[in-house]
Amino acid sequence: MRKLSKFNIFTLIFAAFFFIAPLLGAFGYALRGVNGAGHSLVNFRWIFQQQGFYTNLGVSLRLAAVTALLVMVLMVPTVVFLHLGGKRWRRLIEFVCLVPIVVPVVSLAIGAQISMPKWLQSTPYELCFFYVIVSMPYVYRAVDIGLQSISLSTLVEASQSLGASGLTTLRLVIVPAIRSAVTGALFISIALSLGEYALASLLHFNTFPTWVTNVSQENILGSIALSVSTLIGAWVVLLLIVFLPKIRSLRKVSVNV
Amino acid sequence: MTTQIQTEEVLTASNRRQNLFSGFKFPKTFLGLLPILSFAGIFLVWPLSAIFRASLHDNHNHITFAVYRELFTGIYREAFITSFKLAFLSALIAGFCGAAVSAALVRTSGTFRSLISSASGVLANTGGVPLAFMFIAAYGQDGLITKFLLWLHWDIYAGSFDIFNFWGILFVYGFFQIPLMVIIFTPAMENMKKEWAEANDSLGGSHFQYLRYVAIPTLIPAFLSATLLLFASSFSAYATARAMTIGNLPLVPLVIGTLVDGNVIPSEANLGDALAMGMVAVSVVVIAAYLALLRFSKRRS
Amino acid sequence: MRKQFVFGVVAAIAVAILPTVSAQTASADTNWATCGDITACGGMDALVAEAQKEGALNLTTILRNWADYGDALDSFKAAFGINIADDNPNGSSAYEINLIKTAPAATQPDVVDIGASHIVDTADSTGVSIFAPYKVQTWNDIPATWKDSTGLWFGNYSGQIVIGYNAKDKVAPKSFKDLLNPAFKHSVGIAGDPTGAQESLMTVLAASVANGGSLDNVTPGVNYFHKLKLAGNLSSAPATAASVVSGQTKAWTDWSFNAPGVAAQAAKAGTTLKYVFPSDAAVTGTPYIFGINKNAPHPASARLWVEFMMSEKKGLLAKDLDGQDPYNLQQGTEKGSTLFNSLMGGQNIFRLGGAAPILGSVMASHKLLVPAPNVILGTSGATAVPTIAQQLAAVAVLKTAWPKI
Repeated sequence: MRKLSKFNIFTLIFAAFFFIAPLLGAFGYALRGVNGAGHSLVNFRWIFQQQGFYTNLGVSLRLAAVTALLVMVLMVPTVVFLHLGGKRWRRLIEFVCLVPIVVPVVSLAIGAQISMPKWLQSTPYELCFFYVIVSMPYVYRAVDIGLQSISLSTLVEASQSLGASGLTTLRLVIVPAIRSAVTGALFISIALSLGEYALASLLHFNTFPTWVTNVSQENILGSIALSVSTLIGAWVVLLLIVFLPKIRSLRKVSVNV
Repeated sequence: MTTQIQTEEVLTASNRRQNLFSGFKFPKTFLGLLPILSFAGIFLVWPLSAIFRASLHDNHNHITFAVYRELFTGIYREAFITSFKLAFLSALIAGFCGAAVSAALVRTSGTFRSLISSASGVLANTGGVPLAFMFIAAYGQDGLITKFLLWLHWDIYAGSFDIFNFWGILFVYGFFQIPLMVIIFTPAMENMKKEWAEANDSLGGSHFQYLRYVAIPTLIPAFLSATLLLFASSFSAYATARAMTIGNLPLVPLVIGTLVDGNVIPSEANLGDALAMGMVAVSVVVIAAYLALLRFSKRRS
Repeated sequence: MRKQFVFGVVAAIAVAILPTVSAQTASADTNWATCGDITACGGMDALVAEAQKEGALNLTTILRNWADYGDALDSFKAAFGINIADDNPNGSSAYEINLIKTAPAATQPDVVDIGASHIVDTADSTGVSIFAPYKVQTWNDIPATWKDSTGLWFGNYSGQIVIGYNAKDKVAPKSFKDLLNPAFKHSVGIAGDPTGAQESLMTVLAASVANGGSLDNVTPGVNYFHKLKLAGNLSSAPATAASVVSGQTKAWTDWSFNAPGVAAQAAKAGTTLKYVFPSDAAVTGTPYIFGINKNAPHPASARLWVEFMMSEKKGLLAKDLDGQDPYNLQQGTEKGSTLFNSLMGGQNIFRLGGAAPILGSVMASHKLLVPAPNVILGTSGATAVPTIAQQLAAVAVLKTAWPKI
């Protein structure tokens, strides 16, 4: 790994300022005490005292898990396939995967309302499918760029010559090779499912973000604390995804030793 | 010499590919595409076609293309132009800023890097009212940065500074655009092999030459495809724009909102649906331009 | 004598059976989805009983701070024990109508509260409405302009445009003219896009009236806001409770029925707000409209809700019922109608919230109105209400003129 140049350090410091300032500003309001005086954690404690916190959080976490699963099962094999043999179809699929991002959520919601069967519209898991659609452009692009940067056919051929099946190759060879791209794709789709409000409210479901808006109606400082906590919470969930496997593999190593 | 090596790699790879896929017949290709096509067919094409059909029906249930003619007139034309300008500038600026952050990120170590990339995942999905408030909390009249700059004797509110004019919105968009760029572009950055830079050094090339002849040509395809995504993302941004404007900036998603999800204008939902189809049409044009650019850049390198 | 005896016995038996027969007739015959007024629904007792059997009410786009809906929801729930589900509090009128037209049966709202301009969207091209006709007990008191002759929809409350400001402001604005004061540089806000938000539209119309225009001519209002922008006073940040607390918005316009709620909200965050009726423009918006969903999942609750919200009575609120359990209808000790008559009616609850209830003038003449909240300074006086046609004409102008300010 190369050392950080002066330009790199300057970039990171500038970025830090840009991103931390607004977060810090909102955090300052969230820390305000009762009747806006002083500082306290009362607004953060308020969140957990509200009815429906755990129920709705559970709904959003489940939606995020199903969305992540669908993304992995649907998108990764498809993009790998496109790189290996479906070259002719790449432009078409790329276009199909890019269209969702240009459709405003409002219009997608209305389209869903008038086309989806009623039984599907009665379960919040309908949202998972649309979350996959909405994150498809980012996921496709992330996995696509990741695959462009490795010599995919060499890896596949080597793996197959060692006797591995397609699925094993995918699981044990390709995915680890594009790990940062896949992780990035999962980050985007999970963070999206946890924080998506527009589609959930327009399709009249109760998820964590819609619950947050409901419950914040009469408490300004509480709602600010809630939005800050949601960001931090989502970050923690993503960090768990990154670090949990590492901790598990560390334990495995120590056990073997 | 680098190009020679690359050509060799390509030649043998394509031979290998032919051997690998001599067994692939048409049905198998189709099977490989079936999952994505059926998924997109049900959850994307079907709702879109429903919107298209709805856009053609006026209030008396007659089929008419009249709404589509309206898209090219007056305020709707302006909205498309302003949206395009905003999206284009946002993509360009966030593209370069994000690429710079990616370049710095690939040189950092594991834990710090995981922290930043997971933070990017979260930040890329911020928007709407919370984001607007965060920027008011930082750059508003009583904002953190405003007060800091005041301490440095710079009163940004001395003139007619308006936090949420066109440039202000561009600034705020960076908050989710740059992290998005970082997430998508970093894998490409990661594969800039150290050996290439070393080879350049050993051949006596300057850093500038490395950039011009090695780094930039290799990164251009990934950069273009990532910025295309940024363009589309800011073109269709709705909640954030809504929380930061009072109708002073005509943007297509906002206009659609007033027509299909508003409290004032009745009976023009079909125009809103037509505008949505217009956005899809714009994306087709932009993607075509991107593909042309891609081919052009590949030919040059 | 034998004849008299037999007649007596027959009469006694008839008296004994008759109530049960008629009660059976009421419950057997009442089609709760179509009964068109309280008599057809079998009387208030039957309505309350059936609503309690249904046990739930689906509402949508209701904000607790909006016209004191919070008290209305709480009272209804505490008195009748009916659970109210409020879907998407921040939703729009278009969303509500869309919900009725496309949502699965169980998720549909029972009653909607929409803006008057959207009434046209509630009937399709052949004239079939999404609403079920129902004439509340106070039907005759509703002004003819704001009700459908067959009972499909009717007005409920409206609001006047008022100016809100931070108590800490150096200048206390009293009129639209005052907002041009340099003390309000960067700080004057409106709720949102006038082509998307009803109160912003009425704000521009009010500004027009204040500047030599009228409800027919919105251009002076647009010019006023252009002047405001040139002066550097107009902020493009929408005026919300949060932007007010953060000090970004120091003066803004709002519905009179948002004033008490927002003031209370801001007080909890440490900011004191004041409101005033503008001295140069007295404009009240078109009323909001109730409609009962034809396919309401809980038709009896729906009808009970609109009866409650259109009731003119003075009486008890949820907090007055708190802790007491005298109204235990499950034990059959209290009649539904007695309970209903003891409650404060929705019209008065709207008034508590700062709204102008649609039955206001009738209630005033019968001395049924509760005092208005004292949050808003100044007097309201005679106000002008635009017609829907005037509203739509203003929107047509604003579509092209507003982005140019």
